[in-house]
Parts: sequence; structure tokens; C-alpha cells
Amino acid sequence: MISADVAAFVESPVMILVSTRDSAHRAFIARGSGIRFDRRHGHLDVLLCRGQWSDVAGNAVRGAPIAVTVVRPSDYRAFQVKGVIQEVASPSEEEQQRATAYVARMLEIMAELGVTKVQLSHTLTDKDLVRISFQPTDLFAQTPGPDAGQRVGHPIQR
Amino acid sequence: MIRLTDIRDSFEGVIPSVIATTDADGVPNISYLSHVHYIDERHVALSNQFFSKTAANVRYRGVATAMVVDGRTGQQHILDLHFVRSIGEGDLFERVASHLAVMSVSQGMGDVMKLRSLDIYEVEDCRPIVPVVSLAEPEETEPPRDRLYAAGQLCAAIAEQGDAEAMLDCALGGLQSQFGFANAVVLVPDEEGRKLSTIASRGYPAFGFGSEATVGEGTIGTAAAMRRPLRISDMRRGHRYASAVHAEIMRSGPEHIPLPSLAQPRSQLAVPMLSRGRLLGVLFVESERSFAFSHRDEEALSLVASQLATSLLLAERDRSEGVAPPPASHQPSPAPAARCIRVRYFPLDGSIFVDGEYVIRGLPGRLLHHFLAAFFETGRTDFSNREIRRDRSLQLPDFKDNLETRLILLRRRLEERGGPIQLSRPERGQIRLECDGLPEIEIATG
Repeated sequence: MISADVAAFVESPVMILVSTRDSAHRAFIARGSGIRFDRRHGHLDVLLCRGQWSDVAGNAVRGAPIAVTVVRPSDYRAFQVKGVIQEVASPSEEEQQRATAYVARMLEIMAELGVTKVQLSHTLTDKDLVRISFQPTDLFAQTPGPDAGQRVGHPIQR
Repeated sequence: MIRLTDIRDSFEGVIPSVIATTDADGVPNISYLSHVHYIDERHVALSNQFFSKTAANVRYRGVATAMVVDGRTGQQHILDLHFVRSIGEGDLFERVASHLAVMSVSQGMGDVMKLRSLDIYEVEDCRPIVPVVSLAEPEETEPPRDRLYAAGQLCAAIAEQGDAEAMLDCALGGLQSQFGFANAVVLVPDEEGRKLSTIASRGYPAFGFGSEATVGEGTIGTAAAMRRPLRISDMRRGHRYASAVHAEIMRSGPEHIPLPSLAQPRSQLAVPMLSRGRLLGVLFVESERSFAFSHRDEEALSLVASQLATSLLLAERDRSEGVAPPPASHQPSPAPAARCIRVRYFPLDGSIFVDGEYVIRGLPGRLLHHFLAAFFETGRTDFSNREIRRDRSLQLPDFKDNLETRLILLRRRLEERGGPIQLSRPERGQIRLECDGLPEIEIATG
């Protein structure tokens, strides 16, 4: 499901969007603060601010569906990964450090693209994090254009 | 619920918006979208270009969640949306399509962002995302001016002016003094509607009278083609676009006059000047600051542009109806020793060159040729608007309603370039040719 190329892309400096939904099927939106491919378990671990994105965090429970879109700011290349949540937990110290490094790196990259710290002031944070681990089940190309939404590879049975 | 009018700056599309939906199996879907467009206090429109999964989910569930971002402050808001209908034509569709067209060029994305349809949603709730910690505070900005008051004052001032030239100067002066817009240009369309020529400007090293923008290209040309205001709030990510525009500006060639333009504009606003359904010009302002022009500025400038268009049109009517022909004037020809002014005229497009240098084309060029030919043949230097309008021998296109602005354009262009040929306006409705030498006119057929 997650090839080495896709794993490398996901772990490169990308902006991250996360969505979960409630029982009425209303989808919610959050911005991620880092993402990593857990090669041992085949999971993706995405970090986000619990307090800022309480709707997404509140609906992130084991067994619930989740969608994560990652996009490279320089060329808009993007993937969307869908899956099933396996675990919701506080981040380890290493994960916390990774989130801090992620925010710093993204601020640098976005500044090079002309996006200011003020414009990103509410977007990136490494505070009050929660880690959501999920089993990927579907991968879609999401780069803007006619191929956006095309499935990449075969879906995995949930 | 937060009022949508209070977050109008979040609908600029500077920072991409986000949309999330849920499919029939209950799986969420999340993607960026270029714009959430403000319609009114209860409705927004989403530009549906290529997110087919989102479209399918919305059709199935009838709801979506969007997030918009204020590019100036970074503030984010969540909108709970209920789908109403999809449109593929009409005024709103065209307005959004034209804005997207310019934005896609400005972001170097070609026609990738071409609008296919526009989905209208009712906003059920709008709430802020409260950050745990803000990375940076927004820059201090000046308190907003009362745009409606300023527009009213400026419209009244324009309406008080007695002639077209004073109206143009009054408009640009008022934009600077009442709105604080230091860089402004007024352009008027040519007879074919393909180009717009600078007739007035303020805030640039050169006036650039007679310089041209192409209808349908760039911010000015697109506003003219679409007959709708066009505002770009943050061009920082549009360097390629700025470079392309600059290349156009710097393009060398015998017929090129540089368009007045900032080297690094970050905000631009172009407003069509419409009266009685006709495009009489474009009012353009730009700034080196991001977010220099708000939607309120756009609305205020639309009022000013309409007033300017109507006043210019009335000034043309006034000139054409109320002025008596001047006494015939036959000035003595210059002494035989007077210098020779080499004039090359291209009847095909009205281009005219003086001493090898391009002056102007189109109707102003035809008029200048007419004046010079009359002077060469009879020594005559004085002409009247009325006789020009009535002189069928000129075989000029119908220009009843734009002669005055073309004469202003011609006079200003001649004045800015300097040289042996000038025009003056000794009295209302009259034109005087001031020629420091004897023109030798070559009619070019190329």
C-alpha cells in the first residue's frame, strides 16, 4: 500500500490535512504537525494539536475511518491516504521533537515560497499534540489536475 | 455564528481553503480547493475544478465542511455547509471564472484551474479555530477609512469638473488623497476593443501616455474583457506572473511605450469604467503591499469608475453639441528655412512615427495625421471638435463618443515625448497644432 517512494514523500516536508467524521457523517478538518510511516507495523502516525482541532481529535477513536492528505508546497504534488484508526495516544518524546522539527522546517520552506510566518501563525504548532496511528487502506493521487482522485494501487480490505 | 461579512478577507484565496466530506461508506475525504467565494451573509460558492470525489460525496450527503484562512492574519474559520445547487453559467459563474483565470496564471498553473462548475452552499455555521499558541501576530495596519464616504466625495468632485481632462486628473488625485492609492492608471479602449491605452497615470516615474495593455491579458486586460472588477491581494507567490508582465512591459520594439507599472506589485485592482453598457476604460490601482485593496475598496472604486465613465461620456456629448465652429485660421507657412519634420503614417492601423520614433496609433494617430496633412497643405493650425466630427473626408470610424478622450491622449503623448509637434487647447472645443518645422509626410503601405 505504502511504497518506499510514497513513504519518502509522506515523510518529506509536506503540509498535512487530517479528517475524521462524527456519527452523523459530518466530516471535520485538522492540520497535521508531522507524519511518519511506521515500517514495522505498516501504520501511518500523524500528529495534530488536540486543543486546536478538537473536532477531529474527538472523533479519532480506534476503528474509525480517517483521511490524510499530504501536499508538497513547491509543486502541489499530493496524495490522500485513507485508513482505519488503530491507536490514539500522547506522543513520545521523540515524536514531540519530530513535530518541533517539522514546524521549523515547514516555516523555512513556506518562507522560501513567499508565505509569511503571520500567514501561517494559526496553521503550524507543536503544542498539545496527539498521535493518531492508522492502517492505510486506500491511496489516491491528489495533485491538482484531471488525475486528482485517482486511486494508486489496489485497496486493502478493511 | 460568526458573520461572513466579518471574515470577508478570508475569501481571497491567498491561502488555499480546505474541504472535507464523507462518502456513502462513511469514509472522510479531505482536499484543498482554490477558493471559497463569498456570495452573501448565508451563502458561499465553491469552485469545482477537479475534486470529483468531493462532488460525489456532496451529492450523496448534501453537506460539506470547509476551512477558510485570512491571508493577512492567518486566522482560520470552519464553515458547515449545506449544498444548494450547482451552476455552470451566469454572472456569478463568470465573475468567479475570470478571477480564477487570472489567479491560475499568477500561480503559474496555466489553465489547470479552469472553472467547470460552481457549487452554491448555504452556510449553517461559521466558527473560528482558536490556536493554542499563535506563531506570530499580524502587522499593525492603519484603521480602515470610510470607503463609501470617500467614494461619495470623489464622485461629487468628478461630477463638478467641466471637461474630460479635469475629470481624469480629479479622479487620480482623489484616489491618492482620499483613498491613499498612490499608483493609479486610467486606460481607454481602442476602436477595435483589442487594446487599452494609458490616458492618465499617477505615481510612476513616467506617465506612459499611449502605452497599451492587451484586452484579455493580465489584471487590466481581463477586467476589461470580463467587464468586472478584478482584485489580486497577494502576488508574492506569483513571481512568474510578475516576471511575465514585466517582460511585456520591458518588451523592446519601435512601437512600444512602457506601461506605467510597479516593478514588484503585490496587490492590484482593476475596475472597468462602464456607462450605458459601454466600456469606456479601466481604472487600475496597484501597490507594493500585500492586501492593499479590500473588497470595500473594490466596491468604492466601482462607484468612482462608473461616475468617471458617465462624466466622460457627458463631456463628449457636451463637446459635440454645444461648441460653435472656430473661425477659419490660416497661419502662414513656416519660412522655407524651417526644419523638416519627417512623418511616417500607416493608414492601416493609424500608426504614426515622427523623426523615426513611434508616437501613437489608432484614432489618435489618424487625428494627428489629419492635422499635419492640413497644416502641410494649407498652413492651417486651428481645428474644432465639431468640424472633426462632421468631416466625412476624414473617413474615420464612428467616434462620436470618444473624440475628446482621444484628443487628450494624443495631446498628452505628444507633450510627454517632447519634440517639434505639440497640441494645445486654446479654447473649449478647439485644438491648435504647434509645429516647429514643416512636416514631410510619407504614407506607408506596410
